[in-house]
Amino acid sequence: MAKPTVIVVGADKGGVGKTTVSRTLLDYFTAHHVPTRAFDTESPKGTLKRFHPDNSDIVDVTSVSDQMRIFDTLSSTDSSVTVIDVRAGLLSPTLRSLRDIGFLDAVKKGQLTFVVFHILGSSIASLNEIEDTSTFVGDSKYFLVKNFINNTSFFEWDQATHSSYFKKFKDAVEITIPKLNEMAYEQVELASVPFLTFVANKGTKGEAANYSFVLRGYVRHWLGNVWAEYDRIKLNDIVATGGTAPANSPRVQVVSRS
Amino acid sequence: MQPAPLYIIASPRPRTGKTLIARLMIEFFRAGRRPLVGYDLNPREQALAIRFPKLVWPVDITTTRGQMELFDRLIADTASTKIIDLGYSSFDQFFAVMAEIGFLAEARRRMIEPIVLFVGDPAAATVRSYAELLNRLAATFVPVHNESVSLMFAKQDFPGTHPECGVIRIPRLSPIVRGVIDRPNFSFAAYMTEQPGGPTEVHQWVGEIFTEFRELELRLLMGRLTSSLAGGRTLRRKA
Repeated sequence: MAKPTVIVVGADKGGVGKTTVSRTLLDYFTAHHVPTRAFDTESPKGTLKRFHPDNSDIVDVTSVSDQMRIFDTLSSTDSSVTVIDVRAGLLSPTLRSLRDIGFLDAVKKGQLTFVVFHILGSSIASLNEIEDTSTFVGDSKYFLVKNFINNTSFFEWDQATHSSYFKKFKDAVEITIPKLNEMAYEQVELASVPFLTFVANKGTKGEAANYSFVLRGYVRHWLGNVWAEYDRIKLNDIVATGGTAPANSPRVQVVSRS
Repeated sequence: MQPAPLYIIASPRPRTGKTLIARLMIEFFRAGRRPLVGYDLNPREQALAIRFPKLVWPVDITTTRGQMELFDRLIADTASTKIIDLGYSSFDQFFAVMAEIGFLAEARRRMIEPIVLFVGDPAAATVRSYAELLNRLAATFVPVHNESVSLMFAKQDFPGTHPECGVIRIPRLSPIVRGVIDRPNFSFAAYMTEQPGGPTEVHQWVGEIFTEFRELELRLLMGRLTSSLAGGRTLRRKA
């Protein structure tokens, strides 16, 4: 059996699309038949749970009892992958907690696979975040995600500044999430279903729905591009074998698909 | 069951007679009492929609809402013959959206057959555009030679996907007669049946074009029959 994998999706800044990325990951693993559970740390509201009620729970990642709920069950759960959608501002504290409870040591010993999707905002503060986070992610598969879904332009990043930060993290691999048509995104929000379910024209209970063919087409095309990024970093292999991200992956090259 | 045709009258250039061809097609199918719906994708000058207000929807596909108005309706309606007058300014976006949303695969699944009637001309950009579309889209392409646009037409630059369909030729019309057919209330079909004292130049012109349309339909039908028979033979051989 594959080692348990924990995927942390986070950022210290809000509104950069953490939950959207978490949703695409859950859809990706569903499509690849990888048993996955998710924890939504946006307690008590829980946006992720709204879209994936069957396999996600709302937790307070700062409380010891909920930390036990997540990490003490890694070996006993049927799910080989655990996705944690970390609320804004809690990425660094969460990583610190993971160090304190010995989780990072277990990763170092090869008992667990640890993947971090660090969602970047457009501001220079995001680059500082990378520096803060880097002290905890040495043994993880660390991915820096540029999310264009909410029209982020990354305007504050001039190439020299960008390079000076990225050079410090030789193992960081960059992922680009392309922009999704706004109306399509809004319709999926209203439907409150996973992207995959929307594409399949199904409702929350699996019943036939009547979503626009055009909007479903936009979502299908976009999701295909997002998954192509996950395929590029061999995410499925990482969770199946704990393998390393490909060495030849482009590290700081950004392909904008707006 | 025969697939419902979706005719897309297209050219990447303005003033190539797309609206006139769409108008002729509408009148041709309407005369045959075929269930019919048209879409006018000329955001600036919706001449087709103005001429057939009960039959043709004006659509602006620069907005997502407009794209939904067009493609959602096209997909939902599996019975009517559909005609799109694709304005040159919407040309690139129309085919880009079509590809992005997976329209052709869904159309095939629903027994809708997209047929691009591409109005060719000698401009290098038009030839390139045709080759690129032909390479990119798995649809039926039938080239159209409108002699009013250019007398020259290099057939090798516009190879159809069904060689047996050939090139649809729209003969040149004298400028005076052109003025007559451009009148707001002029109807080709009505003129053909009601106008006494024929045959005139218009009778002959419309007759030739309607014959082209009729032959196109027959050739497409023959092509489908031939390929279905060939498929049947293959299956029997495999069995």
